[in-house]
Amino acid sequence: MNRTVLVVGVAITLALFAILFVGLGRDPAAIRSPLVGKPAPPFALKAVGTGQTIDLASLRGKPAIINFWATWCVPCYQEHPVLVENARMLPGVQFVGVVFNDTEDKINAFLRERGSSYPTLLDEQGKTAIAYGVGGVPETYFLNRDGVIVAKFAGPMSTEILQSNLAKAMQ
Amino acid sequence: MTAALGRFLILASVFVSAAGSIVAFAAGKKHSPEGLMFARRFAYAFAALMVVATGVMEYALLRHDFSVGYVAHVGSREVPTWVTIVSLWSSLEGSILFWGLVLGLYIAGATWLTRNQYVDYMPFAIGTWLACATFFSYLIAAPANPFLTVPAQPDGPGPNPLLQNHLLMIIHPPFLYLGYVGMTIPFGLACAALMRGRLGHAFLRPLRASLLLPWIFLTIAIMLGGWWAYEVLGWGGYWAWDPVENASLLPWLTATAALHSAIVMERRGVLKGWTVTLVQGSFLLTILGTFMTRSGVFNSVHSFTQSSIGPTILVFLTATLLFSVVLLALRINTLEAEGKLESPVSREGMFLVNNLLFVLLTFTVLIGTVFPLAVEAFKGRQMSVGRPYFDSMVVPVGTALLFLIGVGPALPWGRVTRKQAIRSLLMPLASGTVVALIGYIAGARNPWTILTLLFGGYAAWVTVVEMSRGGTRVLRRGRRRFGGYVVHAGAVIVLVSIAVSSTMRTSTEVRLTRGQAAKIGPYTVTFLAAEERTEPHRQSTVARFAVTSNGKPVTTLEPRMNFYPTMREPIGTPDVHSTITRDLYLSIMNIDPNSQTVSVMMLITPMVSWIWIAVFLMGVGGLIALIPARSVVILSEAKDLRMPSSLATGDPSLRSG
Repeated sequence: MNRTVLVVGVAITLALFAILFVGLGRDPAAIRSPLVGKPAPPFALKAVGTGQTIDLASLRGKPAIINFWATWCVPCYQEHPVLVENARMLPGVQFVGVVFNDTEDKINAFLRERGSSYPTLLDEQGKTAIAYGVGGVPETYFLNRDGVIVAKFAGPMSTEILQSNLAKAMQ
Repeated sequence: MTAALGRFLILASVFVSAAGSIVAFAAGKKHSPEGLMFARRFAYAFAALMVVATGVMEYALLRHDFSVGYVAHVGSREVPTWVTIVSLWSSLEGSILFWGLVLGLYIAGATWLTRNQYVDYMPFAIGTWLACATFFSYLIAAPANPFLTVPAQPDGPGPNPLLQNHLLMIIHPPFLYLGYVGMTIPFGLACAALMRGRLGHAFLRPLRASLLLPWIFLTIAIMLGGWWAYEVLGWGGYWAWDPVENASLLPWLTATAALHSAIVMERRGVLKGWTVTLVQGSFLLTILGTFMTRSGVFNSVHSFTQSSIGPTILVFLTATLLFSVVLLALRINTLEAEGKLESPVSREGMFLVNNLLFVLLTFTVLIGTVFPLAVEAFKGRQMSVGRPYFDSMVVPVGTALLFLIGVGPALPWGRVTRKQAIRSLLMPLASGTVVALIGYIAGARNPWTILTLLFGGYAAWVTVVEMSRGGTRVLRRGRRRFGGYVVHAGAVIVLVSIAVSSTMRTSTEVRLTRGQAAKIGPYTVTFLAAEERTEPHRQSTVARFAVTSNGKPVTTLEPRMNFYPTMREPIGTPDVHSTITRDLYLSIMNIDPNSQTVSVMMLITPMVSWIWIAVFLMGVGGLIALIPARSVVILSEAKDLRMPSSLATGDPSLRSG
């Protein structure tokens, strides 16, 4: 009997079982957020390109869409044109992109190639993403006029998804 | 009626496989040749039942018999016949039935090929195979039964549109199953060696061959999956470290490590327990992969939607994992080493490093895939590690493996003098430097890419020299060795192509109206028109582009958006113009046929075609190595306790490294 093999093997088995067993109970697409219904966490971040600081207070008065993304995220490529088009079509809504775990050069190149119609903020230390409890990118928060989070969507959005969530923020 | 027949066949297969497994283990324990004979018959019977059950399902699909649950779920009168046939693996229940079919064929094939040999081991191997078969037939019989009777409807929804979207989807799943399911065979043989407490030299042959065959299929399947993603998903890449992609890569990594450690075991009589562990690990990782794809725990473009079979697979995974661990713990010490490793700077030393790197890579990918789940399990917070983690971990290890493909075969076996080592290692450096220089001149600036080119050139030189060693005799006598180097040649090209294609691509996104043109690289892309096309199973909006280079017409590309009645969102299909040096890739982001405008992403990616070609070459190399060489004498079990000295030190043409 080789005790090392037994102990290590059983430990790996139990750990894997525990993780996968807990995982079974969840729906990977649904991401709960305790923030829905609460005021959005404040932030003040520099905009890529202009260097201008934009904070949460400046978004008040209009429904806002805060989209967390990164240039290394594949679904974000898919989602980007949807956001750009909708931001052009909906001047009454404040769109903001927040990029984390990324560099300004890459973001600039991305926006140059793919276009942009709203401010993109760089969350250098990822503090804003942490404050919002971002689980992965892309993830989007919908704020009403008073700065309260009314909806959250994880994953790339289509125009339909974006507008149905936005409807909640418009009420 | 058809459904009832299907259910009967599946229930019979549960009974046959369970009974066969018990008979086989009992025969092994009692050393009973009659028991073994019966166990073999059960194995054939299981295969026959699976073939007939699959036939019944295909019949129901083709007849559009919507009283059969699975047909009602995926069938449609609107789809072409080929789609109907491949619907078998388009959804969960059918794909598990297909799994059963492949498993049956593998078990029957392996049982038949070993019919007069390895009588000491085979009862345990057949017992293990049929135990796995019992689990899968139970899965088909109960939680994932495709043969349920449902109220008949006039028509069905048709299979998942992603499956109908590209021909590659017909061949990718079967290859994946042939790779995944095939790992059951070496697993059974490894368990048999452990249960017997012996792993003789002769038994290495079926172990290695049964590992190599699914390895070939898995290699091709991973490539086809990447190719499909590239041709269908429209973001221009072929690999995204998606959990399901990782699931197919994990067993491939351990199987590759096992194929290498088996060579050291064959030549030096060491690493027996290690090789057996790797073989078991490869099988267990296929079950983990199955869980990942089918439990609904992971979010992925490739996975099946949420299903109820997750818990059942998890129980099977845990049970096989515990069984393997206990078996290893009890018996690993009985697989005694017959030799020893002489020097770390030698070919076998490099094999060891190779194994460590493959295992490191396996853990890296496994942890990256499972870690987000672990965080959620214990902290209640969701997260994803994403591409930066995988790239930062895998690129250095991959580069080191490429280095080993060059350095390993350049070193001789056994004790190496310093002079020998320096001489064999320095020669290929010239070739590496030339390749790196060519890359630099062609515009490569990323340090990892340049390093990959350097090691790639080095490895290519060594591989070609080793391949040509022994001249034409090699194909008769050193076929395994030659095949191995063909695989190496493919791997070198794949690694270099991945490095170049992922770091040297250019992309742009433009909005064009009819008649407008945009430039990318040497190409001018002119938007000709947007048109609507109607096919029975889908509607498409197609954008036509004329591609010219220096005023000369090159090709016409037609990326499209496909609309399927059952899907809310359209599915884009990019169009690619592939040449030997680069691909031009067009993917529609937005299209409006009324105003004749289109937003299109244009990409130029160098060397992508080389990846597909080179992986195919790896498969061919594997096949060459699989064909048994005529000069190999099957050693009897009595003689195989010690390795013949002629193999350890003899004629270089017999070398199998």
